Amino acid sequence: MKAVSRKAVGSERAREQDRELLRRYHQDGDTSAREALIERHLPLVRSLARRYAGRGEALEDIEQVGAIGLIKAIDRFELERDVSLATYATPNVVGEIKRHFRDKGWAIRVPRALQELNASMSGAIERLTVKLSRSPSIAEIADELETTPEQVLEALEVGSAYSTVSLSGGPAGDEDLDPLETIGAEDEGFQRSEDRAALAPALLRLPPREREILRMRFEEGLPQTQIAQRVGLSQMHVSRLIRKSLAEMREQLT
Amino acid sequence: MNNERIQLEAPLAPDFQPVVRLIIGGIAERVDFGFEEIDDLQLAVERLLAEAGATGMVSLTFDIGEGHVRTRVGPLSERSIADALQNESPPGELTLRRILETVVDSFGVDHAADGRIVVRLEKLRGPA
Repeated sequence: MKAVSRKAVGSERAREQDRELLRRYHQDGDTSAREALIERHLPLVRSLARRYAGRGEALEDIEQVGAIGLIKAIDRFELERDVSLATYATPNVVGEIKRHFRDKGWAIRVPRALQELNASMSGAIERLTVKLSRSPSIAEIADELETTPEQVLEALEVGSAYSTVSLSGGPAGDEDLDPLETIGAEDEGFQRSEDRAALAPALLRLPPREREILRMRFEEGLPQTQIAQRVGLSQMHVSRLIRKSLAEMREQLT
Repeated sequence: MNNERIQLEAPLAPDFQPVVRLIIGGIAERVDFGFEEIDDLQLAVERLLAEAGATGMVSLTFDIGEGHVRTRVGPLSERSIADALQNESPPGELTLRRILETVVDSFGVDHAADGRIVVRLEKLRGPA
């Protein structure tokens, strides 16, 4: 009983500390408070990300995607809300992770070994890009992962397979979620693209994040590596989103 | 590296696009393209084939040399592709021309005697 009380007191104190940091960030513009909030809630992101491990995606990639949800929650939090940041952030983090899996849903049955190779490839590409200051070659990726170039190409290809059905359908794995996690939050990011009246209708039908990625790639001419850094996704994920978005736009025009 | 040529005839059906992508990946790997350069070339061909329709066959020719891959796609009967590539892209619109301008180093259109077209793409290896 004593232990429970102590835990409750600790939890209440943590909640008060969060509110003070949120106040400093939202009212005073103190970005160090925002960083502290991110740091404090990363264990929550890791915990939620672990629930999605073993589905053919590297855990560190899932954590990275979940962290984006956390940051959005911190930025959107309204101080008048009578809810803890952890409670508010959970659906945002889970939503971001689920969207990541929706984007990537395997369209075909892929051998587990290739899925695993694909999962480890994203991290290898990021590491090599930093180390070499350029996009690595297939042979370099193969060396890093102690496999053959042919296996790397095959794993890249199966990784780029996506299902249009899964994109338009509901998120996978809902049965694993508690009701709180299924609460959606509207994506308010990447608003800049909304204001571009000149964009073609097919482009405007894409989600804001995808529109912004296309704008960075084809208007700004940024390489995938820089886009990946800006939006906080892996280069492989950016590549997939570009292909998927262009294919969707084409489908809308036919 | 000696100049080499690979010729391929493939169905335009979307089911076969992954096969074409895999072959392009294998070719580009031979000239030591980086991951992003391979992805660019695959995207260029993929978008071109998507514009060419979903039925029938298409010929692809890959000329492979030191640090470059030159690709010829066609003959294609979709003359609208030639128009799309030869006309300036309207501001703010994401056209096939704008996509190719971004992902390959140069491109062009040859007109065959029978009225069909062949699209040329050139992708160079970036600095090591």
